[in-house]
Amino acid sequence: MKKSKVDLKKLGTQKYIVLIVLIALYIFFCIASKTFRKPTTLISLLDMSFYYVIMAIGVAFPIMTGGVDLSIGTGVICYALFGGTLVRNMGAPVWVGILVAIIFGVGIGLLNGILVAVMNLPPFLATLCTSMITRGLGSMCKATPWPTGQQDGAWFHNIFKITLADNTKIPVGFLIVVAAALIMGYVLNHTRVGRYTLAIGSNKEATMLSGVNVKFYHIMAYVICGLFAGMASIAYASAIPTVQPGTGAGMELDAIGGAIVGGVSTAGGIGTIGGTVFGAYVICLLKVGLPFIGLQAYWQQIITGIILIGAVMIDIVKKRRAQF
Amino acid sequence: MKKKVLAALVSAAMVSSLLVGCGSSTGDTAAATAATTAAAAAATSAAATEATAASNDLLTGTEFEGVTAKEAYNFSVIVKSFQSTYWQAAITGMDMAKEELGITYDAQGPNSESDIADQVNMLNSAISAKPAGIALAACDTKSVLDSLQSAKDASIPVVCFDTGVADAPDGSVVATVATDNTAAGSVAADKMYEILKDKIASADGQVRIGEVNQDATALNIQQRGLGFINELIKLVTADGKTVAVAGNEYYVNAAEGANGDEASADVVIEVAVPAQTTVDLCNTEASKIMSKEDTIGIFGSNQTSAEGVLAANNNLGVLNADPSKGMIGIGFDAGSVIKAAITDGTMAGAVTQSPLLMGYYSIYAMTMAANGDKVEDFPMNGYWYDTTNMTDSQIAPNLYD
Repeated sequence: MKKSKVDLKKLGTQKYIVLIVLIALYIFFCIASKTFRKPTTLISLLDMSFYYVIMAIGVAFPIMTGGVDLSIGTGVICYALFGGTLVRNMGAPVWVGILVAIIFGVGIGLLNGILVAVMNLPPFLATLCTSMITRGLGSMCKATPWPTGQQDGAWFHNIFKITLADNTKIPVGFLIVVAAALIMGYVLNHTRVGRYTLAIGSNKEATMLSGVNVKFYHIMAYVICGLFAGMASIAYASAIPTVQPGTGAGMELDAIGGAIVGGVSTAGGIGTIGGTVFGAYVICLLKVGLPFIGLQAYWQQIITGIILIGAVMIDIVKKRRAQF
Repeated sequence: MKKKVLAALVSAAMVSSLLVGCGSSTGDTAAATAATTAAAAAATSAAATEATAASNDLLTGTEFEGVTAKEAYNFSVIVKSFQSTYWQAAITGMDMAKEELGITYDAQGPNSESDIADQVNMLNSAISAKPAGIALAACDTKSVLDSLQSAKDASIPVVCFDTGVADAPDGSVVATVATDNTAAGSVAADKMYEILKDKIASADGQVRIGEVNQDATALNIQQRGLGFINELIKLVTADGKTVAVAGNEYYVNAAEGANGDEASADVVIEVAVPAQTTVDLCNTEASKIMSKEDTIGIFGSNQTSAEGVLAANNNLGVLNADPSKGMIGIGFDAGSVIKAAITDGTMAGAVTQSPLLMGYYSIYAMTMAANGDKVEDFPMNGYWYDTTNMTDSQIAPNLYD
C-alpha cells in the first residue's frame, strides 16, 4: 500500500497517467480497426485536435481560477464566421480575416473577464450569456466557406496543414500546438499571470490580501481563453470546408472535458498545460476512434461521459488524500 | 496612492480596449449584415424581375395558376434554421411570391436543425399570434403534432414545405410542398449504379458503397436515405448479385430487399449517422467509410453530410469523378463547396432540390388556403446535376452558393 503511494508521488501529476492512457487508447484503436491505422486517419485526428487542443489550453486558465468559459464553443464558430464573411463577401485579405477573428476572440474574453472579475457574475452564468450572444452574432452571417483550392488566400490552410503537389499532407499545426503548449506552460509556471491564475483559484482572498491586483489577473485568465478561442477559429476554418451559423454549442464541453481529463481541477488552483494537451487529445481520439471501431454515435457520447466521471473522481480522491 | 493611480490607469486601459473591441466587432456586424442584406436584395430583385417576366411559366399548368390574394395576408414562416444557404434560397423564392401577391410574412427558425424544442416553441408562439397561415419546415416531424392540432383548433391553415409531416392530425396540414425525397434518393442511387455498374460486375471480392445521413429522425432524411438504399438494393439484386446493409440500426432495419449478410455479400451498403448534425462529425463518419480499401462509392444525403464527405476527402484524396481513377462521391443540394468539387472533378455529381421554387409555391399554397380554396399537395422533383448540365436554365437557378 505504502509503495503505491510513493509511486503516485513519483509520477507527480495526472499528466503522465493521461499520456499513458492516450498511448494505450491509440494502440487499442490501431489493433481494433485496420482502417484506423492508416496515416490519413492520423491526419484527420490531428486536424480535429488543432481546434480542440487550442481551445483546451485556453479554457484551462479560467478553470484554474475556479471558473469556466462556456462561450468558446459558439465563440469559435462566431469568430470564424466573421473572419470568413470579411474575406469571402467583402474582399478583405485573409490575414485581415484571421486578425479580426483573433481580436474578436480577445474582445469576448475581455468581456467575460470583466463580467466575472469586476461585476462578480458567477463564471458559469456570465459565459453562458456570452455563449448565447456569440451564437446569435454568428447567426447574422451566412454559412461561410473560407478560401480553398486555387482561390486567393487559400494559403492560410498551410498554417495548420501543408499539402504537397502529390497530395501528401504535412500537419505543421502540430508544431503550433507544441509551441503553444510550451509557451503557455512557461506562462503558467514562471510568470505572474500564470502564478496568480493558480493563486486566485486556490485562495482568492489570500491572494488579494497579499497585495495582488486580483481583478486584473482574473480578467487576464479570460482574455487568454478568448485569444486561444480566436486562434482555434482559424484552425476550425482551415479543417472544415464550411462554417455553419448556429453550430458550435457543445464544442466547449469537449475542450473543458479535455482539460479536466488532463488533471485541471474544477475547483481551481491545480492544473498543468501538458496534462490539458494530453487530455484534449484523449477526447479527440475518442471522437475519431470510436466510430472507426463500429460504435454508433450515441455510444461515443456515453463513453466520453463515463471517462469524464473517472477523471473527476481521480481529482476528488487526490484532494481527499491531500487533506488527510 | 501610487497603486490607486495604477489601478485607475489599468481600468481606463481596459475600458478603452473594451470599447475598441466592441466598436470593431459591432462595426463588422453592421457591415456584414449590410453586405448580406445588399446581396440578398440584389438577388431578390434580380429574381423578381426575372419572375415577373417568367411568372406565368412558373405557374402555368400548376394548381396555382391565376391565384390572387383576397386580402393583404400576413403569414408566418418557420424554417428548420438559417444554418445552410439552402434556407436562404427558399426565402428568396418566398420573397418573389410575396411581391407578386402583395402579402407579407415573418420568417424565423431555430439556431440549428437539431434545436427541436426551440422550433416547437416558435411554432406555438406563431399560432397564438393568429396569422392567416403558417408555412412550416419541421425539424422533427413527431414533435410538432400537438402544435398542429392547436393550429387546426384555431383554424390556421398550415402548409408544410421541405419536410412533410406524415402523422399530422387530419385537416391540420392543408398541403405539403416538398421534394419527393424517396424519388430524389433513388435518383442518386440510379446514377451511382450507372457509373459503378461495370466495376461491381467485374469486382474480385466484396465492394462497399457508403452513405452518410445527418440523422435518423427527420422524415426527409429518412426517406432520402432509404430511397437511395432501396433503389441500390433493387439494381444490384436485379443483376444477380447479393447485397447487405450495415451500420446505423435505423437504416439497416428499415431497408428492404437485402439478400446477403455483411460478411459474404457482393455489395455492402454501409450507412453512417453522426452524433450531431455538424460537418466535422459527418467528416469523421465519412472518413471511417472512405478509409476502407473496398469502398468504391459514397453518397452524402444532404448539404451538411456531402460537405462532410468532401472534408474527409481533403485528407484521404480518394474521390474522383472517373470510376477508374478513384472512389465515386455523390452529394445532395448545392452550396459553393459542393459546386466547386463537382466542377473540378472531385465529386461525380449531386442531386438538387429546388428550394427557391419550394419557397415560392409554399406562399402560393398558403394564399390559396387563406382564400378558402382547396389546395392539393405539390410534390417536386430532385434533379441530377454534374459538369455537363450545371449551367442549364432549369438547373442553374437552384444551385445556390
